[in-house]
This record gives sequence, C-alpha cells and structure tokens, in this order.
Amino acid sequence: MTLSADRVEIPADPRAQYELSLTEHWGDGVPLLPATDDAIDALLAASPYPADHVLCVLPPCNGVATVELIAINAAMAGVEPAAFGVAIAALEAVSEPEWNPFGLTTTTSSVFPMLIVNGPSRDDLGIDYRASCMGGAAGRGTMTIGRAVSLCLRNIGGQRAGETTKSVFGQPARLGFCIGEWEERSPWPSLAERRGFRADQDVVTVHGGKGTFPMADIHNDDPRDLLYLIAKSIAYPLANMYLGNPENGEVVVAINPMWAERFGRAFPSVDRLQEFLRDNAWQPIELWPEGNAAMLRSRGRVDAGGRVHLVERPDQIVPIVCGGLGSLHAIALPSFGESHMQSRAVLANPATQER
Amino acid sequence: MSADTVMVRRPTAKPAGEVSVPSFVLERPITGLTIGIRADRAWRSWQLISEIWSEYLRRDGAETIAVETGAQMGRPGSDDRKQIEELASITDCAIVGLGTCGSCTTFTIKDAVTVEDHEKPVVAIVCEEFIVHGRNVATHLGHGALKILVLPYPLEALPADELRAIADDYYPQVLALLGATA
Repeated sequence: MTLSADRVEIPADPRAQYELSLTEHWGDGVPLLPATDDAIDALLAASPYPADHVLCVLPPCNGVATVELIAINAAMAGVEPAAFGVAIAALEAVSEPEWNPFGLTTTTSSVFPMLIVNGPSRDDLGIDYRASCMGGAAGRGTMTIGRAVSLCLRNIGGQRAGETTKSVFGQPARLGFCIGEWEERSPWPSLAERRGFRADQDVVTVHGGKGTFPMADIHNDDPRDLLYLIAKSIAYPLANMYLGNPENGEVVVAINPMWAERFGRAFPSVDRLQEFLRDNAWQPIELWPEGNAAMLRSRGRVDAGGRVHLVERPDQIVPIVCGGLGSLHAIALPSFGESHMQSRAVLANPATQER
Repeated sequence: MSADTVMVRRPTAKPAGEVSVPSFVLERPITGLTIGIRADRAWRSWQLISEIWSEYLRRDGAETIAVETGAQMGRPGSDDRKQIEELASITDCAIVGLGTCGSCTTFTIKDAVTVEDHEKPVVAIVCEEFIVHGRNVATHLGHGALKILVLPYPLEALPADELRAIADDYYPQVLALLGATA
C-alpha cells in the first residue's frame, strides 16, 4: 500500500519512539508503539475505506483526517486490525455537527468522547464491560481504541492543552475511554438497539461525557427508592445541564448487573424506567442561591411546582448495564449539555471481512 | 535504514487556515448605519457592556439590532445560527461577543465569521485569557484577519461600576476596529 505521510527514521530502541513523541508533541505522555509501515498497512487492510479517503475534518484546528493518518495514530495506540473499524466509526460519530465537535474540543469543561460499544465483537476485541470496565480491567480494545481517538484529536485535530483546548482540568478519560455494555445481563434492549441498530451489528456510541460520577448504596432494597436516589444524585445543582438548554444533551447512567436485575423487575420497559428517572431528576428552586435561581427562572426552567428538572425528555437519561457483579454502585457520565450522543455501525473491509 | 533504526510515519495533519479571506472596514461614520450586536445569555457582564455600547451607538447616530444566543447545537443552536445569519444580512456591520470560555469563544468567532462571510465589517469580542484560542479558531476557519477586540479577564463577578468603566474605555476601540471615521 502506498502511504503518503512523512517518514521519520528513529533509533530502534523503543524508548526512542517515546522520546520522539514527547519532543514532537505527538503523544499523551504515555509510551507509544512505532507506527511502522507494516503496522499501518495491517490496519488499512482491515479498513472499510481506502488510505486516502477523507473521513472527516477534526477540530479544533480543522485537520483533515485521512484514513491513513487515523491508521498511523491507531498503530501508535496499539489498535489491532480487527478493532480499527471501531476507531473509524467513533471518529465519524465525533465529527457529526450534533455532537458539537468544535465546542467540545475547545471548551473549558473536562468533556471528552466516551465510547460505548455494543455488538457481538466486544469479547473478541477486548472491550471491557464487566468488573472495572471503566479503568483497570485492561482489555486491549478498551485501552487502545479510546486512546486512538484521543491521539487523532491531538495529532490530526490539533488539540493541545491550554492552547487549542481550554479545558481547565481535563479528565482521565482524555487518555481514552471505551467500554462495552453487558447486553447479556441487561433486562432491556441494548443501547444500540434502542438507537435503531440490530443486535448482530457492532455499534459504537460516542457520548460527550464530563467524567465518571460515582454513586453507592447499601441500605435500600426497593428498586424504585434506589432509582429515585439515582435521579436525585444526577440532578446535582452545578450540573452543566442546569447551565444551558434542557433539551440538549444526555446523562448516561451505568447500572451494575445486580441492580439492573432489580430495576428490570420494577420497570420491564426501559421507556418507563427513563420516565421515572426524568420525573425525579429535579431539585427545588429554593436550593439555588438567588443569582443562579434568577437565571433559571429567566430561562423558564422552573415549573409550576417550583421544580427544576435536569432534562426535558426521558430519553435524555440513558441507562446502560455494565460493571462487576459486586453490586452496590452506579456511575453516571454527566453531559456537557450542548452535545447529542452519536452512534455508528462498525464497518469492516468487505474484502477481508471475517467477523 | 540500518538495523539500529526504524522508519515511522508522522501522525500529524497540517492545521487548516493557510489561506485567509480579507476582513472589511466601514471607512465612514456610523451615523445612519444599522449595527448588529450579538449578546450571549451566559454572560451577564457582556449583557451590560453590550447594552451600554448599544446606547452609545444610538447616541452617535446609528440604529442597533441586538440578538441573544445561548446554544451551540440541537434545535436551539440551529435557531441561534439562523438569527445570526439574519443579523448578518440586515445590518451594515456587527459586534459579536463574548469569548470568555472555550466553547463560547469558538462560537463567538464562528458567528463573527458568518458576518464576515457577508463581506461586512465585524468585531469579535474576546477576553484576554481566550485570545490565543480565538485567533486560532479564526485562522483555522480561514478568517485569520478577523478583527478581535480583547477585553480584560475575568469580567464575570466584577461590580457593575467597573464593567461600565470597561465599556467606556473600550467603546472607542470597537469603533476603530469597525473602521468608523469621525
């Protein structure tokens, strides 16, 4: 395959590639693998698109993301060829205007693409959805795909801390965040199915998530009580969704399989579960000091009962099932607000498709 | 390449913006002109400063049309961008603010670019902390010559009398960047 990116000769010592990534600002501070032609070719052979195909333009610097450049960054991250399509699909999702890529890559917020993978290839690709899936499980897909997306934003999009991205704190997910859903333990259709895909499709959904917001309980056995507390917890008064438009953005709520089983008995329909969460995700206007309260009132956020709902619609609170069987915990992935999650089916090269 | 070396490929793309469109200036007094002002629901400081400037512009013989934005995407964002498009088409020039966070600077610049795309003078208002980012965005959108007025930072949490003083101090500069003559 003919590649067009500049070639750079470096010492074979693996530390040399790492040093180069630091001096050239190609990396995220973690050691990288060398993007050799062999590694890049292997990825391109699995790509649904040719090397010179322009997949998208990535902000903040509007760099042109050819499939070749994406493959170079994926090779550095250690993405295996079978997983390259997930990275491609994720970048397609990130570049959708309704994901608000320009806003999310430049904001002072910590927000970053959080990838949620559904479909039959989760295990083959090493995408974590069981114990410690959000950090520590060490699945190859989880640890490399999210990082490839992050490197593409850095190296193709030009995202640089303090310069082109004004994120005040950043977050650990800026090294990459990619989890699966434990579909087999979910009492509801998978996230991808709810978003119009088939169960036999590999699908990646990209959420603009501000971080991981932990919740825990050991005292309550009533599923409705527990869901009520989850709803109240995600409606925290300084949530971004109280800053902007209530109809924009989604909050993902990651539910462990044990709680999901209980919630599923109380709410066999995920739609009813989402309605319950939405209806209880509010705080009384009296909670906010007058400065904030005045702004919420002026924007019509306060209903006749003095409630300020976190979101306008039930579908903006998005449950997924994942995590270990130790129960006791849930994690919310709070929204930036001005972003709608985007989903893409993962495509493979039809000539080499094995999955 | 020797056995002691390995060839790798450069992973970076060139940033966009090598070519820049020209910016525009009034080269005339503002008397009789219609001047658009883009406010932002998020920033109380800018609401006050832009209201003061609007008052001064009217005092100096111009008409002003103010629009308020507050969204970046979805239906509200689409409505906001339509408002800006309309503002750009019906005014002679515009003042667009406020860049005092990352994404709001991005959208301040994008909305100012919309006015410049109508070949009309425009000044984007950006606070000092975000000026490098603002200039980057303008450059990468192909509008590297966009006029940007830099206001002090931070503006939020300043008392109203200090904001009024800033409005007074910077009013002549915004007129100068629009290219208004006496």
